[in-house]
Amino acid sequence: MGKGVLVDLTKCIGCRACQVACKQWNELPVEDTKVQGDTIANPPGLSGKTYTTLAFKEVEHDGQFHWVFAKNQCMHCQYAGCKTACLVGAFDKTEFGAIVYEKNKCIGCRYCQMACPFGVPAYEWWSRTPWIQKCTFCADLQSNGLTPACISTCPTDALLFGERDDMIKEGKQRIAANPDKYVNHIYGEKEVGGTAWMYLSAVPFEEVGFYPMREEPVTHNVDNAMFAVPFGLAVVATAMTGCYFIFKRRRKLAQAKSRSGEGK
Amino acid sequence: MTNHYIDIRNADQILIIGSNAAENHPVSFRYVTQAQEQGATLIHVDPRFNRTSAKADIFVQMRSGTDIAFMGGMILHILEDMRKNPQNYNIEYLVQYTNAAYIVNGADVPGEDGLFSGWDPNAGSYDRTSWRYSDMGTPGTEPRLLSPFWSGWAKRNSPFAEEAWEELDDHCVLRLMWEHYKRYDKETVSRITGVSVAQLERVYAEYAKSGAVGKAGTIMYSMGTTQHTYGSQNVRIYAIVQLLLANIGVAGGGVNALRGTSNVQGACDNGLLFHIMPGYIGVPRDVDDDLDAYLTRISPATINPAAGLPTDHSFNWWSFNDNMRRYVVSQLKAWWPEQDPNVSFQYLPKAKAGVDYSHIPIIEEINAGKIKGLWLFGQNPVVGGPSVNFARQAMAKLDWMLFVDIWMNETGEFWKRPGVDPTTINTEVFLLPAAASYEKEGSITNSGRWAQWRYKSVEPPGEPDKRGRSDLRIVTELLAKLKELYEADADAPNRDAILNLDWDFTPPGEEVPNWTYPSADAVAREIAGWALEDYTAVFAGTTRDYKKGESIDTFFHLDDQGRTASGEWLFCGSYTTAEGNKLKKRINVDESGVGLYSDWSWCWPVNRRIIYNRAAVDLDGVPWDKRHPVVAWKDGAWVGDVIDGGGAPINLAPAGAKRVPFIMLPEGVGRLWGYGLADGPVPEMYEPWESPIDNIMSKQQFNPVAYITPEENNPRGTVDKYPYVATTYRCTEHWQTGTMTRSLPWLNELMPEMYVEIGDDLAGELGIAPGDKVKVESARGEIAAVAVVTKRLRRLVIDRKPVHTVGILWQWGYTGRNKGDSGNLLTPHVGDANTTIPESKTFLCNVRRA
Repeated sequence: MGKGVLVDLTKCIGCRACQVACKQWNELPVEDTKVQGDTIANPPGLSGKTYTTLAFKEVEHDGQFHWVFAKNQCMHCQYAGCKTACLVGAFDKTEFGAIVYEKNKCIGCRYCQMACPFGVPAYEWWSRTPWIQKCTFCADLQSNGLTPACISTCPTDALLFGERDDMIKEGKQRIAANPDKYVNHIYGEKEVGGTAWMYLSAVPFEEVGFYPMREEPVTHNVDNAMFAVPFGLAVVATAMTGCYFIFKRRRKLAQAKSRSGEGK
Repeated sequence: MTNHYIDIRNADQILIIGSNAAENHPVSFRYVTQAQEQGATLIHVDPRFNRTSAKADIFVQMRSGTDIAFMGGMILHILEDMRKNPQNYNIEYLVQYTNAAYIVNGADVPGEDGLFSGWDPNAGSYDRTSWRYSDMGTPGTEPRLLSPFWSGWAKRNSPFAEEAWEELDDHCVLRLMWEHYKRYDKETVSRITGVSVAQLERVYAEYAKSGAVGKAGTIMYSMGTTQHTYGSQNVRIYAIVQLLLANIGVAGGGVNALRGTSNVQGACDNGLLFHIMPGYIGVPRDVDDDLDAYLTRISPATINPAAGLPTDHSFNWWSFNDNMRRYVVSQLKAWWPEQDPNVSFQYLPKAKAGVDYSHIPIIEEINAGKIKGLWLFGQNPVVGGPSVNFARQAMAKLDWMLFVDIWMNETGEFWKRPGVDPTTINTEVFLLPAAASYEKEGSITNSGRWAQWRYKSVEPPGEPDKRGRSDLRIVTELLAKLKELYEADADAPNRDAILNLDWDFTPPGEEVPNWTYPSADAVAREIAGWALEDYTAVFAGTTRDYKKGESIDTFFHLDDQGRTASGEWLFCGSYTTAEGNKLKKRINVDESGVGLYSDWSWCWPVNRRIIYNRAAVDLDGVPWDKRHPVVAWKDGAWVGDVIDGGGAPINLAPAGAKRVPFIMLPEGVGRLWGYGLADGPVPEMYEPWESPIDNIMSKQQFNPVAYITPEENNPRGTVDKYPYVATTYRCTEHWQTGTMTRSLPWLNELMPEMYVEIGDDLAGELGIAPGDKVKVESARGEIAAVAVVTKRLRRLVIDRKPVHTVGILWQWGYTGRNKGDSGNLLTPHVGDANTTIPESKTFLCNVRRA
């Protein structure tokens, strides 16, 4: 079923070593940033130069003040909208569950950006030959049996990496062991059909930027539509075949009639 | 740290105070998180809600600089609760392992004047005689406390605390503690700190839980504790609380200083501080006419446990077995092996009476033109020091500066800083490019005293002959040149010291002394020590024969006659003939079960991972904490960590060898009451030098013994002009003065500009919007910054008046790719009474939109 990551927001200390490790391993360029004023987060969001960022959210919940550090990156959907939307098959899903992008096939239509429910794929707007950029789940490291760069650098094990099924079990165990501490939900377990990156939180998810999603995959409508195609084709083919025989028979009859007329 | 990083995971209660460990020591949080997963409670006390607070179970926002009031209130809470509920505390530890029952000379605790006994207003200092024990040979004790059934404990329901405490001798330490801290009731502490009484009650009760037998609480602190005019007393008060709660020596306990930068611990161990030689031996002073006089002065006389205690023997390690002489003579022999130690002692510089050699006075002396030259190795004092406008101006008084670093920084470029005409500055600046840590070999000692070897992985950048060089090579080449110059000049001062100095760090296998490529491994070997000739060491009835040149196994075997050399006694045994350089050990297996990892690297002393571990067991050698045993007496021997001191447990040892656990102190017991610090036997609350209020505790506004640079170079702000409390700190994304990080694009991207943090309530009052440019001003300077407006800094109510805190970063300067003002343009040139560490954590400021 592929690999998964359990991000325990209660264990993240906001050091942003993951952000730097990501830039370093993927050799990503630097963004020209400014202090935003209402947060110390930077860069402001995912972009063609930035595969992961940490949001710093000041939240009041249950009369308690929380400062939550929420890591964002591609969620690596089980049923990826970007992959489905791509006209030319530039996206692929690896055996580990990483959604990866092959720029040599890309025609630059950016349908993937429209199709992603999390707004992840970014475009190199500054470039004359722009490509789509997004987190690769360090597919290169994973294919060599190694752990993604952001995860191996985390000092507090806030990012736990393993088989996706095991991560779900671990998440459920943590919630069961500390029901007062966690919101009773693993974000990403079922959202949009399930994602490789999943989250535990002490405050409601929508407070820290993880919005409610339907459980059905974003590819659902496409599936419905595509499901009808073979039946439609069969009906049309049957009808056309029927017409063919009808017209053929009519012609035969007509020919026979004229022949008999000639014989009079 | 008395303990070490991994050990934090063994704690039941974690108190982080004066530290933002999550941001400045992220790896420590690996173990804090593990402890929390096992049910530990994390308490964070800080003026500001930061990334550490975000992980805390209880966050206490207090006014900056009021640690002693906060912790004093905790002491009162513990004393009262202990009297009422002695079953919740380790009374045996308190009575046997601390000086709680000892009788003091006749000291008075401060009254309204805020001064302890012995104050000399003319000298501006204390005569500390009255703080000492009644008898410095065998002190008297309070017999009632020695009985486990002191009736005071029984009066647990008495609402009148006095009644119980007054049964004790009025010069008994525990009685004095109560007399002193009874003024620190929660209402008063609340008025001073701004923390509500309910919150104080909650946090005191929670931390006091670690006082139970078998429970452990750790205190983690760093610069937020020390950078005050009473910084040493801040640390003292943590030690007192930990002793009261029996948290010293045990796993998951201790007083744990998180050191501010990589290898600070190693620098302190190896004598880079001005007041100590390598191995924490006090520096020679001008009163020390010869080696014998010096040794007599620095070797403390033994104070034996008082009659009535089951113990009868204080190790007094410094003087035991003539240790101080062994260590000092071996050290002199490491440096001058050919010379008689009595002669080579005279080569050492002697500290002059009344002269302070710490950072603040050095800058003053430079400004006064008395210091002509300055060597800087990896330092940036015009960003990192206090009141840097003053420091920057002072630098121009130097004739020359030798600047050694891996990047150019503000101090190296002080002569072309903004607003200065370089042609007006005559200082000659020499730049020597250094090798970064991965470009050289050597050891780095972490806060937990683990000395870990690092290998060179890459060459420094640049052309082969112009590359940066390791500090070791730079100093070696410099010394080679010095020796040449001294050789040529028969009248050079202290000529023999330079000419006779042994500096042979030739790599193994090479025969000729190598003055270009010294070996770090050879330095490690000299620090540990070897035999200068064939020598038979005798210790405790055993002998050990050493061949000339053989490494010494342990500091027990160092010789007081000069037949051994050892650069630092604490590291003796870290490099042996049998095992080689133990700092290189990398066996990642923990046999102890409590995370000692004793075969990973090496730690001083004698690879003891938790110091004072003799206090981790009861009088029979049974661990207080059965879940996390550090040491235990089993079948006639100690198992676990390397035991502090040696010998059988108190109840099993023969008369005359029943040893008290704190072997480095002359009295062998932990000091609740002390007599070593300049500013009081127990910590007393004083306001910072610049404070928004009058001291509520006494008429003495600030620490009377604090170091204060005169007004003309150090203006003092008042609350009418500078109404807000300022505190300075670092962020996790930049390192120290930013020399190493403000030129790294991936880090600059995260923290691109100098900013200050302002509470949304104050920002609202001042009309400051998030991201606005603001000016922050103190009596000493002004800075520009971007405002980060946040809910994390909130107005406190101090004695019914609102007090706002402004949070200021200090890591910026005018060099590098990411420029900005340093918060240290604002900080005052005042220092702690004992160490002169600057008070950069609390001062007054004003803020306005730019």
